[in-house]
Parts: sequence; structure tokens; C-alpha cells
Amino acid sequence: MKDYRIPVGLLLSSLLPLLLMPLMAIFLFAGKGGPTHFLQALGSPDAQFALRFSLLIAFATSLINAVLGTFAAYVLSKYRFPGREALLVVVNLPVAIPTVVVGTSLILLWGPIGLLGKYLDPMGIRPMFAPAGVLLAHLFVTFPYMLGAVKPVLDEQEGGYEEAAYTMGASPWQTFRFVLLPTLRGGLLSGTLLTFAHSLGEFGATVMVSGNLRLRTQTAPLFIFAQFEAGNIEVANAVASVLAVISFLLFFGLLRFAGKER
Amino acid sequence: MGLLAVFLYAVWPWLPGQRGTSRTVIVYGFSILGEVMNSRIFPAFQAEWQKQTGEHIEMVSAFAGSGTVTHQIKMGVPAQLAILATGLDAKTLIDERLATLEGLPEHGVVNRTPFVILTRPGNPRGIRDFADLAEQEVAIVHPDPLTSGGAQWAVLAEYASALYTGGSPEQAGQRLEKIWRHVVSQASSAQSARTQFNSGLGDALVTYEQDLLRDARAGRLEGEIVYPVSTILSEHTVVVIPRNVSLQDRPLVDAFAQFLWSARAQELFAEAGFRSVDERYNLSFRAIEKPFTIDDLGGWPRARTEIIEAIWQNKVLAVLGK
Repeated sequence: MKDYRIPVGLLLSSLLPLLLMPLMAIFLFAGKGGPTHFLQALGSPDAQFALRFSLLIAFATSLINAVLGTFAAYVLSKYRFPGREALLVVVNLPVAIPTVVVGTSLILLWGPIGLLGKYLDPMGIRPMFAPAGVLLAHLFVTFPYMLGAVKPVLDEQEGGYEEAAYTMGASPWQTFRFVLLPTLRGGLLSGTLLTFAHSLGEFGATVMVSGNLRLRTQTAPLFIFAQFEAGNIEVANAVASVLAVISFLLFFGLLRFAGKER
Repeated sequence: MGLLAVFLYAVWPWLPGQRGTSRTVIVYGFSILGEVMNSRIFPAFQAEWQKQTGEHIEMVSAFAGSGTVTHQIKMGVPAQLAILATGLDAKTLIDERLATLEGLPEHGVVNRTPFVILTRPGNPRGIRDFADLAEQEVAIVHPDPLTSGGAQWAVLAEYASALYTGGSPEQAGQRLEKIWRHVVSQASSAQSARTQFNSGLGDALVTYEQDLLRDARAGRLEGEIVYPVSTILSEHTVVVIPRNVSLQDRPLVDAFAQFLWSARAQELFAEAGFRSVDERYNLSFRAIEKPFTIDDLGGWPRARTEIIEAIWQNKVLAVLGK
């Protein structure tokens, strides 16, 4: 084995102020009031709701974008059509647009006085300032991750297996299911993970479209911000530390799972 | 396995049989109200409603800057009742027919708090009044009147306090200009101005008494509260948003609105550092020599055009080149 001490030491010392110390600070401040305080902060109905709601939205976002993103990657990778390049740029835009702008435009579209929303409102359909609005925002913001993870894998594939499948009479769906999908496992996994993690931490768009209603649309990051604003830094950090632990465990578990698969 | 556990934890409250659906009241409010509403007023009303009707209800709420709340309501958030930091925000909503004061006591004003000065511990610069902020070389941290409701109250307090202590309008304008010469930072909200001051910036901060009393009672106030000879009492206005109240929820929302003026609620507000609209609950507060209200200045629309716009914005800011 090559001597790893110098490169690893260099890496760790450069990551210390950038990544590791800020992460440690979350836990330090969360535990400042002692374990009873910590559990009390976590056990409050607001904190419990915010955590659960964030997780649910993250699961739903990952699921929908896993399917939609893979489909988009498939179409954009396997078909050549006019406007493909333009579409490719457009679907990648959400990462570059400030999330607050995403929130605003969703409100101006789906809100009660929005372009489409004003026709839905009389029917009692109000996606904004409701869980549906949060989901819409998260789908938008995280869309490029799945695409970015899956499309390069599809692009690199030789056309041979697919053509072989077709000549044997497989339908496009069968070809996708039995020939392409197995090779996509790694891409799907990392795409879903990124989507999940980003959704769990999303703030800018959520604060706009959710209405920030506690016990109804307040996600964990919004709860954390509200607690910071009110000066309850320990409560904020208690929830933040739980989010960090959940993310860490999920990443760790899935990475190990992915390691076994290879 | 781990993933499944996390998923189960997340969906648990929504699984069948976990909870009945209860009616909700949706309340939006400006920031400094958050704590007292969530931890005191809501539980008290829930208990009272349950006692009267046997029904369990849920209180759903959101708190942000008063201007933000006003704008959110224009954009269509489902607020059924809102509490705003200035009557001006309430008026904007009422003028657009989005909100109403109908049936509310005291023209919707639910509580008050005077504007005071916070100095460093021991008051090393010997600040006693707004006049000292103008005459002495002090560094002042101030919220920005363009974005903060609290800052607008503060500008009115600084200007009109000169009038109420025998000054002429010219002298009042000079006082405001001198004070603003000493402003070293304009934070976007009263809350963030406080954070800046706490982190060591400046010699003095102009802010809500309630915010300071709350900390003083919790034993975590660093600094000294200075009561000016004359200052404004900010008034916080309740409005109902009829568009978001269904016919069958109307009695519930009305009951909550009325509850805010009940003896119990006014007592809770006073305990949290807000001055009650009923003087009987204000005995523990320090008396202010020459207090005044927005009505004394001719109401919000007039104070806004004649003081904040004509004097602060067009004269003071123009002279200072800020």
C-alpha cells in the first residue's frame, strides 16, 4: 500500500476549517444545554412535525424524480430530435437559478392570484402554501441531479446490447428494464441520494411557497431558521444535528450497499 | 432496514388511526410575537375552547417581518387572522379589501410597546434620552425603515419626541438628522439590528421595549434599558382575512379574535413584556413621562407621508447622502 499519511493529512487539515469544524459546531451547540434540554427540544410537536414532513417530502421528491429524471435521461440520450440541445440546457437550469426565484415563479404561476392558480382557486385547488407546493418546489430544484447522474452512464453505453435486444424482438420497455436498467444501478443510487439530500436541506424555494406554517408546511430547515431568528440556537441545532445524523446514516448505508453490489 | 425505519418514522402520524382530523385556526404574525403566541396564547385558547365546546382544535401559525406577512397575504397565503406591527400594513390590506377590522375591539389594536434605547452594560456613555443620541458622539445601530416596521416606529419616536418635549418642528427635524448622522448600521429588521448590537457593534440601539423586557425577565439581557422622556407606543393590529374563513369556521375564528382581548390573553401578553390595551395589567411596567401614539401624530397615512417620507427620506437621508 502506498504511504497515505502525507496526502491524507493534507486533505484532512484543509477540510478541517472548511467542513469538519462547522459540522462539529452543530453538535457542540446542540448539546450545550445538556441531554434533557436536547431531548426536550427534539420532542416538541413542532420539531417532530418539521422532521417528519421534511423526510416525507424528501422521499416523495426522490421517488418522483428518480422515475422522471431517468426517463428524461433516456429520451435525451437515446433519441435525436430538433431542439434536443436546447431542452438539455433547460432541464439543467434549476441548479443555476436562485432558489428564491424558483419559489417566486411557482407562486406567480400556481398561487391563488397566479397565472394558472387563479383558475384553480375557485375549484378549491390551492397547491401553493400547502404540502403540494413544497413538493412542486423540491421537484423543480432537484430535477437536474437524477439526470446528471444517469445520463452520462446511458451516453457511454455501446448501442450493441440494445440493438441485440431489439433484434430478438424485445420491446423498448423490455430493453430498458432488462438491458439498460441493470447498468444504471450506480447512477440511480447516487442520483437518488443527491436528490434526497438536497430536498432535506432545501430552504430558499420552500420558504417562499410553503407559507412557513408550523405543523402544516414547515420543513426542518425552515423550523431551524425560525428558531435561530427567535434566538433559540440550541433548539435549532438540536434539529440540525438530527438532520445531519440522518443524512450521514443514509449516505453511509447506501454507499456500503453500493459497495457490495459491485 | 435503516431506510425503512426512517420512512416509518416519517409517515407515522399520517398512518390510519393515528389522529383524528381537527379544525384549525391559521394565524400569521410579525416576528416578535412568535414566542408568546406559540407558547402562551395558543395553548390558553385551545384549553378554553375545549372547555366551552369539548372540541379539540389546532393552531397553525407563521411568523415573519410585518411587511413580509402583509405581502404574503396579498400573494394568497391561507391566513385567517393576522397580527401586524404597524397600522399601515393593516391599512394596506384593508384598502385592498383583503382584511377587515369589523367587530374587533380597540380598532384591532391588541397590545402596545414603547420604543426605548438599549445601551452597553452600565451605560458608559451616559445616554438618558433621544436628545443624547443626537448631541453626543455615539454609534447607533438602527433597523432600516425601508424594510422594518419597527424602524418606522423608531423614526417617529426620534422625531416626535422633540415635539412633545417642547421643541419646534425645525428642532425635531434637526434631532432626527443628528441622530441619523450617528447611525453606523441599518439592519433589515429589528431582530437583526438586535443581533448586530449583541455581537458588539455600536453604543446604542433603538428598539421595542418588549424585546428587551423578555430577555431581562429570562435573566439574559446584556445592557441597560434607557427610557426616553418622551417616546411612541407602537400598536399591534389584528385583522381578519374573510376570504380564508369558511362559513362554519367563522365562529371559531371570531372566538379566537375576541379571546385576544380577554383578561387571560391580555395578562399573558403583559407577562411577555407587551403593554396591555387595558391599563389594569400595566402596573408592573415603568411609566413613561410623555408617551404618545400614532393617533397623536394624525394617524399612520399622515405620519408616513409627513414624517417618514417628507422628513426622514427626503431631507435627512438626502443631507446625509445615505
